[in-house]
Amino acid sequence: MVTEPVGLSNNLPIKRVMPARVGDTDIAVWRSASGVVSAWLNRCPHRGMRLSHGFVRGESLACLYHGWQYGCDNKCKYIPAHPALEPPTTIQTMAYTVVEKHGVLWVSLDGTPEIPALFEKLQPVRSISFNCSNEDVLSALAETTLTCDDGQVLSASDMQSQNILILDNPQNKPKLAVLFQKSSAANVTAHLLADNSWSIDGLIRISRWCELVRRRAEIKIPDNRRNL
Amino acid sequence: MAGLERAKEDWYPIAIAGSTVDGEQLDTSLLGINITLHGDKDREISVTADGNNLPVQTRYDHVWTTFSENPRPLFDIPEADEAGRVLVPCGVVRVKCSPLRAVENFLDIAHFPFVHTDVLGAEPHTEVEPYDVKIDETIDEVIATKVKFFQPQAAKSAGDGIVTDYVYRVAAPMVSILYKTCPPKPGSQDVITLFVQPLDEETCNVWPWMALYDYENSMADMISFQQMIFVQDRSILENQLPRKLPLDPKMEIPTRADMTSIAYRRWLKRGGAIYGALTEAV
Repeated sequence: MVTEPVGLSNNLPIKRVMPARVGDTDIAVWRSASGVVSAWLNRCPHRGMRLSHGFVRGESLACLYHGWQYGCDNKCKYIPAHPALEPPTTIQTMAYTVVEKHGVLWVSLDGTPEIPALFEKLQPVRSISFNCSNEDVLSALAETTLTCDDGQVLSASDMQSQNILILDNPQNKPKLAVLFQKSSAANVTAHLLADNSWSIDGLIRISRWCELVRRRAEIKIPDNRRNL
Repeated sequence: MAGLERAKEDWYPIAIAGSTVDGEQLDTSLLGINITLHGDKDREISVTADGNNLPVQTRYDHVWTTFSENPRPLFDIPEADEAGRVLVPCGVVRVKCSPLRAVENFLDIAHFPFVHTDVLGAEPHTEVEPYDVKIDETIDEVIATKVKFFQPQAAKSAGDGIVTDYVYRVAAPMVSILYKTCPPKPGSQDVITLFVQPLDEETCNVWPWMALYDYENSMADMISFQQMIFVQDRSILENQLPRKLPLDPKMEIPTRADMTSIAYRRWLKRGGAIYGALTEAV
């Protein structure tokens, strides 16, 4: 199983939790007060509540439903209904391997992280979600161009392996990379990384450009198929 | 489908009594089957499925119907007929979850401090003291008694925080009734119920209903209090995975505070009331 990019590091500050999806698997990704990142099946072992709705307290993620707290070792630490009880060590979340690299959070469902080494010089820009299929996004990407600070006009080249799209890659020095997260048929999430040639205005242009791609991609599908 | 035949033996709420006008037709769904409610001149209501009439009765301010010609009797709430109570149908809330998940959440008190924060519960008052639960075989109900919980604002009529006493009854697989301390009338108990209409196994309409001693607050205020509470519950119910209620103990791990939920699940399984449930671990 390919390791999936599920978000950008700077979008997950300490003491925050966010939902993510890898294929059909619903995931909660959270960062403790000391900075430790965990990725778990998005389901509290107690009553099935999505843990991405929970809240971080120190080094634990608490479920919103009954406040059960789980530590960075995935084990239940505290059950508020029984404050004196030491929770059995068998109560634990289903954990996945998560690695933070190149400013991206990578999750592997089967425990073997394989992270592309291509992005040493790239910085995270933003993530974006599309309510349409992967094909719609790719075809909208092919129809749009993006202008660099030096006036160079970028267009989408071929899809690289592992769902990575590089924009202008003559000497293997991408100016912009789009990482696609494996998602459902009607929803696509992508993460954008740029090299250090972009000014602040340029980064804003990248952000507007991907929103333009989204408007075009989502308009390609009839309203009754749209997942609003 | 698992449990459908058993589910067809029960009565279900589909409307508030008196809410339809003459000639009005209301299409809804029950156990995955399309049904139509017909408003009539003298406010007599009929319900049809595929052109055939279904049994109908009006009770507890709601219109009830069933698919069975020989249904299980509608449960009894003697308090509903006590003089002096204000009867409050609270409207309907559509929830994308199993009807059984909605009932189970209603039986749960440990979530109060986290879901109904500063209203039905507040940290650090999170402890659930031991209480009694039994499956009463003679009346075929689950009953929890001696349930106590500290509540900052137990009802619209409550002032400061109080320790509230609760009794819970599960009177049918999709009906739960609770009795709780009545702030303005010590010694009496407010009655709050959850009547659930199963649209299908993973979607329901919830019709909360109350029989209170409260002469201070307007009907609108009492309804909006109950709706605020239930909409908070909905944010949980629509985010539980899977949507159906798992009956295999391997699927979800309970603790002592969940005695009522454990008994409810066991009672459902034993009685074959598994419409809206998952009977095997996935």
